[in-house]
Amino acid sequence: MEEELLDELFATILDGDIQSAPGAVQAALDAGLGPQKILNEGMIAAMDRVGELYECGDYYVAEMFTSAKSLQAALGVLRPHLQQSDVQAAGTVVIGTVKGDMHDIGKNLVTMMLEGAGFKVVDLGPDVHPSRFVAAVQEHNPDIVALSALLTTTMPAMQTTLDALAAAGLRQQIKVIVGGAPVNDEYAEHIHADGYAPDASQAVALAKALMTL
Amino acid sequence: MNARERVLAAINHKESDGIPVDIGATPSSGISAIAHYNLKHAISKPHWPTQVYDVVQQIAQPGDEMLDHFRIDVVDVARTFDDRPEDWYDIALPDGTPVQFPWWFKPSVQPNGDWEAIDKEGRRIATMPLGANFFDQTCFPYVDGYPDSLDDLPNVMPLVHWAGMAHSPWDHAGDDDFWQQLRARAIALRARSDRAIMVVIGCNLFEWGTFLRRLDNFLVDLVMDQANVERLLDALMEQHLKTLEKVCAAVGDIADVARFGDDLGTDQGPFMSPKTYRQLFKPRHKLLTDYVKQHSNMHTFLHSCGSIYKLLPDLIEAGFEIINPVQTIARDMEPMRLKQEFGKDLTFWGGGADTRFTLNRGTPKQVKDNVRANIEALAPGGGFVFNTVHNILPDVPPANIIAMFEAIDEYR
Repeated sequence: MEEELLDELFATILDGDIQSAPGAVQAALDAGLGPQKILNEGMIAAMDRVGELYECGDYYVAEMFTSAKSLQAALGVLRPHLQQSDVQAAGTVVIGTVKGDMHDIGKNLVTMMLEGAGFKVVDLGPDVHPSRFVAAVQEHNPDIVALSALLTTTMPAMQTTLDALAAAGLRQQIKVIVGGAPVNDEYAEHIHADGYAPDASQAVALAKALMTL
Repeated sequence: MNARERVLAAINHKESDGIPVDIGATPSSGISAIAHYNLKHAISKPHWPTQVYDVVQQIAQPGDEMLDHFRIDVVDVARTFDDRPEDWYDIALPDGTPVQFPWWFKPSVQPNGDWEAIDKEGRRIATMPLGANFFDQTCFPYVDGYPDSLDDLPNVMPLVHWAGMAHSPWDHAGDDDFWQQLRARAIALRARSDRAIMVVIGCNLFEWGTFLRRLDNFLVDLVMDQANVERLLDALMEQHLKTLEKVCAAVGDIADVARFGDDLGTDQGPFMSPKTYRQLFKPRHKLLTDYVKQHSNMHTFLHSCGSIYKLLPDLIEAGFEIINPVQTIARDMEPMRLKQEFGKDLTFWGGGADTRFTLNRGTPKQVKDNVRANIEALAPGGGFVFNTVHNILPDVPPANIIAMFEAIDEYR
């Protein structure tokens, strides 16, 4: 019975069935399954599989987005229960698109995929001034700060954000990861970020790897 | 061999007396206004006007002198519109660069420094945040869902900035005599220029879905709500075929290339599986290309960004002869691989110089090496028109553009 309910939830997320996902979570809760078990075995496991299917070329961005949205729908039901039972997150990430850049679809996908991997994500939205990243790090004490930029012209704001975090004395306590069209490994190294990922799936792998350091 | 013959030879997969070159014949193979301004000063041509004919992306229309100076082989019929001094007015971009805007485009400057585009009804349709260099769409008419009836689609489309702030010649599409003007002006252009002529049509399908529903919603629709996707695509096709019919009647015997657009790729791969493309988009793309082939002398050109390697066999079957911008740094898009696998079937219009890293941040020597390597991979046997990978962006130093042309000159 338990297995069936978790399989059902796993399938709704894998298939991106946004309509059915909240009901599948509720059914598992009603049957008395613990929030931690539902999260790990129903949801994180499904998003892991989504990542694998994307990496091997069976899933495309469309499928990944659909699964991520169904995960969001499922989390909407599960989140209060996770808070009540004090389930520990895989880590905390503060994420935002840098100052001057309004583009957030890629960043939103990374946010959803990180949540799907069990991270607590504080999403500051697009066009985030360096001082807001500093304030968010002070408030939430994250493990990772994730910066996004779509434009070659806004990418330099990654550097100014890193400078602001350093000036506030916060740089040593966090890992900074960067992503977005104009960014690459070389640029990440140039601005002394701790990592770069070319897509949402690899961003999750990077965040997980950084948590083990 | 003249410029037009050079371009046509390339499309017919024949080598000519030198590689043909495009900068500026489409709004995604051109040069940004800021880069144009910096370039003209660097080469002591300050009198060249910097006319922003695509206000969404802030792209400059290269003038005749620039075409001659850099020996460009192809032009957009758009340049024949807005051809009087009074069609333009002087304005400084937020960074201070003096340019000219078309008379009809008067953005509203906000107290925080953002520029907003407001339509005739007073609705905000796009924003250029302070520090940005192009306008982002702010109005997504179907973001909350598909309406029961799509009869209002023609009225809704101008709320999308790509249509509401359309580049020329489409900024004149509402003129009573537009189609006669388009024909007359294309004929005059053909008479005075030996360059190949491009007509930028668009007829985007996937992208119109993302413009109307917003990208994240439309991607989910592709997986979960294909019935509504098909309904929308059919309504779009009705509009597109009407436009295409008029374009072919007006310039189908004059222009050489009909440029369609549909960005199907991300850096890492297509947005959708080949199966989804085949099911939803390919048959409709085929209708568009068939129409052009049956009703004009024009060659079919698709602008499609990103990693589209996995879709190329289907795009070829859908009837596209030319692919642009050939985003060589995206996954699976290495020039040698593309040429080897698809060189017989496709003309690569682009892929000549990387506009994300090398041209922007490389040294002139790195630019030359990049250009030479790309030309040597893509040009042999024809089937190649030199173009940068998409537009030359504002941060590209003039020295790198000059280096790019010096490297091109080694092959013509």
